[in-house]
Formats: sequence, C-alpha cells, structure tokens
Amino acid sequence: MSDPSTDQIKEEMRQYVLNEFLPGEKASNLHDDTPLRSSSIIDSVGLLRMIEFIENRYTIQVEAHEAGVENFDRIEDIATFIQNKRGAGA
Amino acid sequence: MSIGSPELLEEHQKLQDGAIEFAQSELGKDIIRRDREEEFSREDWRKCANFGVLGMPVAREYGGMGLGITEVIAVMEGLGYGTSDQGLLFSINAHMWTSIMPISLYGTPEQKQRYLPRLSNGEWISANAASEPEAGSDVFSMRTRAERRGDHYVLNGTKTFVTNAQVADLFVAYATIDLRLGSMGVTGFLIERNTPGIVISKPLEKMGLRTSPMAEVVFDECTVPVSNRLGREGRGVAVFESSMEWERGCILANYLGLMKRQLERSIQYAQTRKQFGKKIGKFQSVANRIVNMKVRLDTCRQLVYRIGWLKEHGKPATLEAAVAKLHVSESLVANCQDAIQVFGGYGYMVEQQIERELRDAMGSTLYSGTTEIQRNLIATCLGL
Repeated sequence: MSDPSTDQIKEEMRQYVLNEFLPGEKASNLHDDTPLRSSSIIDSVGLLRMIEFIENRYTIQVEAHEAGVENFDRIEDIATFIQNKRGAGA
Repeated sequence: MSIGSPELLEEHQKLQDGAIEFAQSELGKDIIRRDREEEFSREDWRKCANFGVLGMPVAREYGGMGLGITEVIAVMEGLGYGTSDQGLLFSINAHMWTSIMPISLYGTPEQKQRYLPRLSNGEWISANAASEPEAGSDVFSMRTRAERRGDHYVLNGTKTFVTNAQVADLFVAYATIDLRLGSMGVTGFLIERNTPGIVISKPLEKMGLRTSPMAEVVFDECTVPVSNRLGREGRGVAVFESSMEWERGCILANYLGLMKRQLERSIQYAQTRKQFGKKIGKFQSVANRIVNMKVRLDTCRQLVYRIGWLKEHGKPATLEAAVAKLHVSESLVANCQDAIQVFGGYGYMVEQQIERELRDAMGSTLYSGTTEIQRNLIATCLGL
C-alpha cells in the first residue's frame, strides 16, 4: 500500500464512519472535528470494530491504553494518531 | 420421526432425525423431579458428548465434528423436539457459544489443543463469567480487575449469573486491566477450576431452566498465567462479541423444536378433548390460539435458518440475529401461554409439563441480551 496522506486517511475514515455508523447521512455533515465517542455515534463495540478496521487497513497495532477519546473521538485526531503510529513503525 | 422441515437439505434432515431419535430415547428422564430439585444430569451431558453434540462447531483436528451453523441449528432443533430437558440444552448452549466458540476463534494453538478436545468429549464442562452484579446488559462496565504481575494476572471481583458454575472445569472470564480504559480495558481469560482464588459462592435458584446450574463466582487474588489470556490485552470485547451472532442464532434453535412439539400436542388435545358436546378445536377461540402458535413457529424457523444461511455465505448477521433473538423469544413465551390456555386447567398442572416450558421460556427474553437490548441493537442497525 502506498503511504496515504493525512487528508486521504481522514477521507477514508469519514467514509468508514458514514458506512458503518451513520448510514444515510451526508458526508458534508460529518466534519473532521465531529465528536464520535463523546456524542455516542460510536459505542464501545463500534470503537473496537473501528480499531480493527484501522489495524488491518493501515497495518498498525493499537494498544489498549491508546484507545481513549484523546485519539479516537474525532476524525482529525484519528488520522493524526494513525500517521504517528505509521511514522513510529517506519 | 421427522419434523418435516421443507427448507432443510436432505443431509440436514438426517442429522436432525438422528438428534430427535437420540434425545427421545436417551435424554430427559425424571425431568419433573429433577426440575423441582434443580438437578443437573452429568450422565445426560456425557451422552450428548458421545453423540457428538458438544463438539459440533469444533474443528475435526481438535476432536469436534466441524459442523456448519445450519447443521448445528438443525441438530439443536431436533434435540429441543426430542427432550423435555431444556435446562440441559441451555447448559450445552452456554458451553458451546460462550466458551468453545471464543476459544476456537481467539485461542492460541496451545490453548485450542489443551481445551477443545476436553470440552468436545464431555470430560470438561465450561462456564462463562462475564456479568457482574452492577454490569448486566452494560456488561463492559465490569469492575473485576486483572492486574499484571510479571508472567501472571491477578484477578479480583465478583461474577454473577454464571451458568454451569457449580459443575465447570473451565471458566472463560472477563476482567478489566484498567477501569479508566472502559471497554478497551476488558480482557478475556481461561481459568481452570483448580486455580487458587476461585470461589463458587452463592448458588442461584431460577424460575426456569432449573436443571442448568447457576451461581455467583468470586475471584479472590486469583492468579492466572499470561499464557491463559484469551486474545489480546484489551480485546475482551471482541472475544465476547465473537460468538454472539452464533449464540443469538443458535441458542434458541432448540426452542423451535419445543414449539413444534407443543403445537402438535395442542392440536392433538384440541382434536380429542370435548366440551359442550364438541371437540374444543371446533371453537374458534381455541383454534385461533393454535393458528397463532403455528404462524409464530413458521416465522421463527425462517428467521433462525436465515442466520445459518447468511453466516455460511460469509455475510454479516448482526441485525438478523437480533431480529431472530427478539422474535423467537417473545413468540416462545406467547406459544407457551397459548398452549396452557388450550389445555385449560390441565395446562396449569405440573404433570402436563407446559407450565415448566413457560418457566423455561421466560429466560429466553433475558439471556444473551434482553428483549430491550435486542430492540436497541436493531434500532442501531437501522441507523436510528
């Protein structure tokens, strides 16, 4: 897989969240800073599914202590986290 | 005897016919007394193991039969038709779906080799320790802690509603490595009965399914080797959820058989029992109850077998499993109530065994996610 940019990751995550958790919602309504966990768009089981998607898609490993709202509440934070993990693993 | 299921393939029908014959001849003896005295039958458990029931979903390399989900559903439906001991079948369901399946999916090769053959051949019984006094439907808010100390975890906490606890040789337990992590702290463990620090505490007396034992389990400085962690640290939710589609689809399959048997009994009774000079089945108010029982049974069967089809075609079945769990459990209760009404005063008597079937049925709207939780799941899947 070629290295995706942060913007590409944001877009992929936006599509994933829309498909999995907000079917029928317009992409324009899901912003980079829309809260996902704290607004209950994604529940605990959904978070796990999203993390498994991220691990498979971006070939990274998310540890339990990394899965808090600081990394997984907003699309922009998720993209930054993924890029940092990929950079750390490179 | 054949249930005569038009949607079953010939090989599935043969499996089911064999299960019916086995259950009718071997299981459920002395059930009225055993229900009253809450007596689990280890002998019937071994018979089921020898027949291959316990290892149905287990890969052949680990001593199982390697059956697919539709085959398992067909066998469980046959067992439900053939035996009156729904408590035994409930214990078997707990054993298969909350222990065998997570080990099959998430166990290391060593864990599979050690546990799956024993769990398949009836040597060991397993129990699932997830629910807590303050964490029922919201199970991932559990408080039981697992503290890592070198090459061990030390577990402390109390689990409740642990099916098979008193007879279990292995516990599939869940605890959090850090309460602050929420669901991402939940981790699965395989804990053998002789592990120091396991206390089988208060036995729980139930309304129904009384031949299936249940108790509270306390982990008091229970030391578990890291090698007995099931799945990755913090991925207990995935382990727990892994079997839920199987469980929600299959755990009520035996009740399809019960509903079929109950329907046949009700028809037979309505065709022979006379009041006011005619057979009671000729009264529309009685006949309509039986018609409703038939409609519910047929819709339930379609929903349960649809899960089998979806899973075997590699399709997700989260929504369909929740729909089936909700509809089958509520239909089952309604059918039991209708059967009692058809039998009248006799239906209320213990000897007819319908009152026990109603008591057994009531649990189905609670375990594996209550009716309310199933509705929440369905609503979420619909984007609500």
